[in-house]
Amino acid sequence: MELSDANLQTLTEYLKKTLDPDPAIRRPAEKFLESVEGSQNYPLLLLTLLEKSQENVIKVCASVTFKNYIKRNWRIVEDEPNKICESDRIAIKANIVPLMLSSPEQIQKQLSDAISIIGREDFPQKWPDLLTEMVNRFQSGDFHVINGVLRTAHSLFKRYRHEFKSNELWTEIKLVLDAFALPLTNLFKATIELCSTHANDASALKVLFSSLILIAKLFYSLNFQDLPEFFEDNMETWMTNFHSLLTLDNKLLQTDDEEEAGLLELLKSQICDNAALYAQKYDEEFQPYLPRFVTAIWNLLVTTGQEVKYDLLVSNAIQFLASVCERPHYKHLFEDQNTLTSICEKVIVPNMEFRAADEEAFEDNSEEYIRRDLEGSDIDTRRRAACDLVRGLCKFFEGPVTGIFSGYVNSMLQEYAKNPSVNWKHKDAAIYLVTSLASKAQTQKHGITQANELVNLTEFFVNHIQPDLKSATVNEFPVLKADGIKYIMIFRNQVPKEQLLVSIPLLINHLQAESIVVHTYAAHALERLFTMRGTNNATLITAAEMAPFVEVLLTNLFKALTLPGSSENEYIMKAIMRSFSLLQESIIPYIPSVITQLTQKLLAVSKNPSKPHFNHYMFESICLSIRITCKANPEAVGSFEEALFLVFTEILQNDVQEFIPYVFQVMSLLLEMHKNEIPSSYMALFPHLLQPVLWERTGNIPPLVRLLQAYLERGASTIASAAADKIPGLLGVFQKLIASKANDHQGFYLLNSIIEHMPPESVDQYRKQIFILLFQRLQNSKTTKFIKSFLVFINLYCVRYGALALQEIFDSIQPKMFGMVLEKIIIPEIQKVSGQVEKKICAVGITKILTECPPMMDTEYTKLWTPLLQALIGLFELPEDDTIPDEEHFIDIEDTPGYQTAFSQLAFAGKKEHDPVGQMVNNPRIHLAQSLHKLSTACPGRVLSMLSTSLNAEALQYLQGYLQAASVSLL
Amino acid sequence: MPVKHTEHMTKFKNKGKDATALRRQRVEMSIQLRKARKDEQILKRRNISMHLKEENPSLGQDRPEEIVQLSLEEIVAAVNGNNTKLQLLATQAIRSMLSRHKEPPINQIIELGIIPRVVEFLGRADNAPLQFEAAWALTNIASGTSEHTRAVVEGGAIPAFISLLSSPHMHISEQAVWALGNVAGDGPLYRDAVFAHDVIPPLLALVSPATPVGFLRNITWTLSNLCRNKNPCPPLDAVQKILPILICLLQHEDKEIISDSCWAVSYLTDGCNDRIQVVVDTGILPRLVELMDNPELIVMTPALRAIGNVVTGTDQQTQAAIDAGVLAVLPRLLRHMKPTIQKEAAWTLSNIAAGPCQQIQQIITCGLLPPLVEVLDKGDFKAQKEAVWVVANFTTGGTVDQVVELIRAGVLKPLLNLLSAKDSKTILIILDTISNLFMAAETMGEAEKLCLLVEELDGLEKIEDLQNHENNMVYRAALNILEKYFSGEETTDLEPQTGPDGLYDFSVEKEDFDF
Repeated sequence: MELSDANLQTLTEYLKKTLDPDPAIRRPAEKFLESVEGSQNYPLLLLTLLEKSQENVIKVCASVTFKNYIKRNWRIVEDEPNKICESDRIAIKANIVPLMLSSPEQIQKQLSDAISIIGREDFPQKWPDLLTEMVNRFQSGDFHVINGVLRTAHSLFKRYRHEFKSNELWTEIKLVLDAFALPLTNLFKATIELCSTHANDASALKVLFSSLILIAKLFYSLNFQDLPEFFEDNMETWMTNFHSLLTLDNKLLQTDDEEEAGLLELLKSQICDNAALYAQKYDEEFQPYLPRFVTAIWNLLVTTGQEVKYDLLVSNAIQFLASVCERPHYKHLFEDQNTLTSICEKVIVPNMEFRAADEEAFEDNSEEYIRRDLEGSDIDTRRRAACDLVRGLCKFFEGPVTGIFSGYVNSMLQEYAKNPSVNWKHKDAAIYLVTSLASKAQTQKHGITQANELVNLTEFFVNHIQPDLKSATVNEFPVLKADGIKYIMIFRNQVPKEQLLVSIPLLINHLQAESIVVHTYAAHALERLFTMRGTNNATLITAAEMAPFVEVLLTNLFKALTLPGSSENEYIMKAIMRSFSLLQESIIPYIPSVITQLTQKLLAVSKNPSKPHFNHYMFESICLSIRITCKANPEAVGSFEEALFLVFTEILQNDVQEFIPYVFQVMSLLLEMHKNEIPSSYMALFPHLLQPVLWERTGNIPPLVRLLQAYLERGASTIASAAADKIPGLLGVFQKLIASKANDHQGFYLLNSIIEHMPPESVDQYRKQIFILLFQRLQNSKTTKFIKSFLVFINLYCVRYGALALQEIFDSIQPKMFGMVLEKIIIPEIQKVSGQVEKKICAVGITKILTECPPMMDTEYTKLWTPLLQALIGLFELPEDDTIPDEEHFIDIEDTPGYQTAFSQLAFAGKKEHDPVGQMVNNPRIHLAQSLHKLSTACPGRVLSMLSTSLNAEALQYLQGYLQAASVSLL
Repeated sequence: MPVKHTEHMTKFKNKGKDATALRRQRVEMSIQLRKARKDEQILKRRNISMHLKEENPSLGQDRPEEIVQLSLEEIVAAVNGNNTKLQLLATQAIRSMLSRHKEPPINQIIELGIIPRVVEFLGRADNAPLQFEAAWALTNIASGTSEHTRAVVEGGAIPAFISLLSSPHMHISEQAVWALGNVAGDGPLYRDAVFAHDVIPPLLALVSPATPVGFLRNITWTLSNLCRNKNPCPPLDAVQKILPILICLLQHEDKEIISDSCWAVSYLTDGCNDRIQVVVDTGILPRLVELMDNPELIVMTPALRAIGNVVTGTDQQTQAAIDAGVLAVLPRLLRHMKPTIQKEAAWTLSNIAAGPCQQIQQIITCGLLPPLVEVLDKGDFKAQKEAVWVVANFTTGGTVDQVVELIRAGVLKPLLNLLSAKDSKTILIILDTISNLFMAAETMGEAEKLCLLVEELDGLEKIEDLQNHENNMVYRAALNILEKYFSGEETTDLEPQTGPDGLYDFSVEKEDFDF
């Protein structure tokens, strides 16, 4: 494309069309632009347009298009063609900086972004004059231009804050420092001077302060990796000025906006960050300045208002104090009683107050409020910062700080008592203060785990928390109600059990509260109380103790789900699950109503599943209903199927992907409840379960395998008789799974079930294929996980079909195959097998090979007999071999194969571990002894001679132990 | 470096990790942003008048008022002329300018083009004062930048100075020693040029019980510069000749001589294991360890550096340092008030912790864990970073019992606190360490307990926060830990990867099997 007016005209037209709302016009235009963007001069045409076009909208459009073009094409990827020709690159770099600086702000921003993208690739080597070009502009005195430069510099340098140290990076930083540090320092000084000369000119000040913010940010980036020599030498200049900016105020810079932080706040906030950086990393050099900053920041806190716009500044400032006061060599700055008192009084207490903004969030944005308050995503809030400062101060001054605050707590409570409806916020602050003072360590699972011993938590609970919760009106002072419930929740391990028991009906009562926060907290508190452990690892609160409350608890929980805003409240659903699990059979009378409500809920949310946790607990609750009911009355399974299958069918038909794995798990659970033949309703579904589309989704694999296993356990003979044509499809699934290193263990679970349960004749024709497939995998891509599963499988096969069958099928695939597998796989690798049941299967299988396989006694395989026995004794006696070859380190082996599916998505749908040799063999060592005895009776002398010639002494000793224990001897 | 820790490699924890990555030589960044460290040894020194006079009474005749002020033109004329008296005056004038305290005009002097001529004066055995003035002037020129040193070397000064080492006048041979120190200190190229002119015999010949302390200090300093610099290391045969003298000097009572000898040894140990072995073989480690504990900072610093370098070597070399008692001294150094000492001590410990578990056991037995935890908790940031490495290596190579011991010592709290450090690399190493701890905890079935502990100590929150970290590796490491250990009962997805497939119908071609 030439740089001609005609082309400019064409481009203008197409750019205009890309703004058209009609896709029929817009899309072809976009396509066209894409098709020409590889042409030489295209970017230069765009630059021309964004500078010279008559229409502003085209200018802006050209600048955005240009930036996106740079973003897509500038980087040169190895082995891929260079997408921008060299002369264009040179021309862009030569023109873009002045162009950016002379453009109006809207376009400047796009070009600045483009520069930083280019800079990321080309700076510094391929763009050596960028820095000088930028620095020269500092002289211009035009702060519109200067801010453009600073902004670009910031986007170029901010990566120094997170990248790893490297020679390459530091070379660049050094280059930047050499060219940039001095001009930046001079600019900093000059800007500050201008601020005082223009102290009365609001619009000038705004521009100047924007510069100062950018300068302070650049300072942070340039000082991040290490303390540069230049900045160490000029620390006095920077720190003195930073310090005075911290203490500066100017009415003209104050904003009316309550929410948005103003320039002054942003600058001070950045200065706090800069001071914190130096305090943390360059303590030795920064020490002389630190006390001044502590004082300044503290004063700043004392004088800063409650508005939201100051939040970031205040929390940064408090965090700075919190990090400094923990350091032993700055302890002295805080230890004076007056200092401590005034920090407590003027910094901590005011920032713990419940503000209008908090109140708003409590009412209108309760989800966010709960997340911040309960789950600790409150890192940037003032309350949190104040709380951290309390904990920091307590490190050295626990006694004095506790003393000071006790006074405040008492006076705030007195204020409240005088006029609760007006002063309830005082009580809120008192509770928050007690909480932050008392909690030294906390976990979600246990609440507070270490408490400040100087605070009497139970007394406070009885005197100040319970009375609020006992009040007849659940909807009065919702914030205090929430505070009280939260108090129970987090101090549940500190408050004695009898007090918790007193609280339970109160909590149940508050499930009815209108406030979302209050009823959510009540549900959450109940759920947490129900998970507490007492002695003997049992739950602290027993089902018996809950007996009087079962009905009201269940009623209120389900009613809470109907309260506005809580229809998919995960805390409530989790509390339902936990209640079921705790109450067990005492919920049975309520099941008919419960299951109806749960299925209705399921139907409703399956239209648009949006709350994963809610859904998860809902399915858990369904599983619990089934298990608890069917345990007492197995016949009841039918009524669950009746209630659920309709919804399940709908979910499967509508392909609700989020729910399908759950449905499979619930179906597995239901199917396993059946004692007799598999119902026809399940058989009708069977062919659908083998559909490849289901198996393509990784999340389906574990639950589907589990379900197929249930089919095989309950209905193997039905499948063999009524669905024999589906057997290849079933094995196809096995083959699909075995082909994947990640899913092969799932394939083995399926295969093991097939071998264990299917009538032998139904799989006869496929057996050879199965082994060939396994050998193929073994030969081409064996992994430790695969070998472990493989060993379990062949031994299970041996147990089921006999050792001779195993030998015959191996040798029919390839002569001497059996010997090769014994020698190369079983003997050297058997030690790797892990898991009780897995080891047992292998022991019994190998015992069979040793004692029930004639070719082991009278062919060339005989030489493997003693090594195999030795390996078996090793399996019994040696610690498990958990070495994994080095090259396998990086493949994913998290899901270590157990014999049963390790997938436990639904905890309450889990099944018991299945031991296929359970009845057959109790003690595999004794079983070995008895089998050897039998063998030696059949061929006297042979066994003993094989043992004495090559079994090592230690193994022999173990073996003698087994024989003794079995009270048999060898002939 | 040969693969070490073969023993470890069979254990699960080191699998896939490169053992050589554990031992870290002192971070040799060719680029420094910081100010040159004040406690490092000085590379080049200028002979400044006042200073010199106090130290060398032999030069008492050199009174400043005698020096005649000459213009640069006059100097050039005089130096290039044949009047011996004027030559001396001019050289003296040059020397005087170059010896003034502030901003010596080295460039200007070089630009006069008279250096070859001044070098010539070094050979004027008949005129000792001229020799001395020339030597002094050239010493100070060589003390400047590399550019300046080059001017002297290219003027042919190296052989001339080496001849002067054997001058009958002690103050002249001393000045030659000094000049050669400056030349050698410039870098490996000139250092080896000095060696190539056979500096060793005449230089070592100067060392005798009768050598005055001041002179001996100069010799030691020059020797240390001859041992200094890598790429390449100084020639082995030269090192072997210098070492016995250094060993003697290390026994001297003068702290500056000991200091520079220690620096020399520290340079010799700053390299490949073969070079470390040469030093270990001299049996000097116990003396170095003793010096590490010396109250004088200028002695302690290089002695610690030397031992620190030794333990970057093989397990056997590290064991030699342990046998010399390094572990008994390190606790005091870890608690030293000076941050750089803390830092180097922690760095040294980190390399010992990279050894086999027997050596890790010795770390425990010698009581290093409490001071280590103190450094992590409230040390200077530089020292904290090194302490993080100690913990990382310890948890990589230690046995489960040893790791438990480490946790009992209280390492977790300060370690987790450092997750808010402003340094991506440190954060990443801590995250790796946390993974190590979890692996150890899993083998004991205590992973859940560790989860709670990490959460109690506010570590969980910090790790969660790191999911927002700009550095991709940090973000992924944090995410990995969260997914693996903290996803709790709400875990929904195992997310296995789909493998290569297309094998949906059940059939397979048989091939020949050979396992």
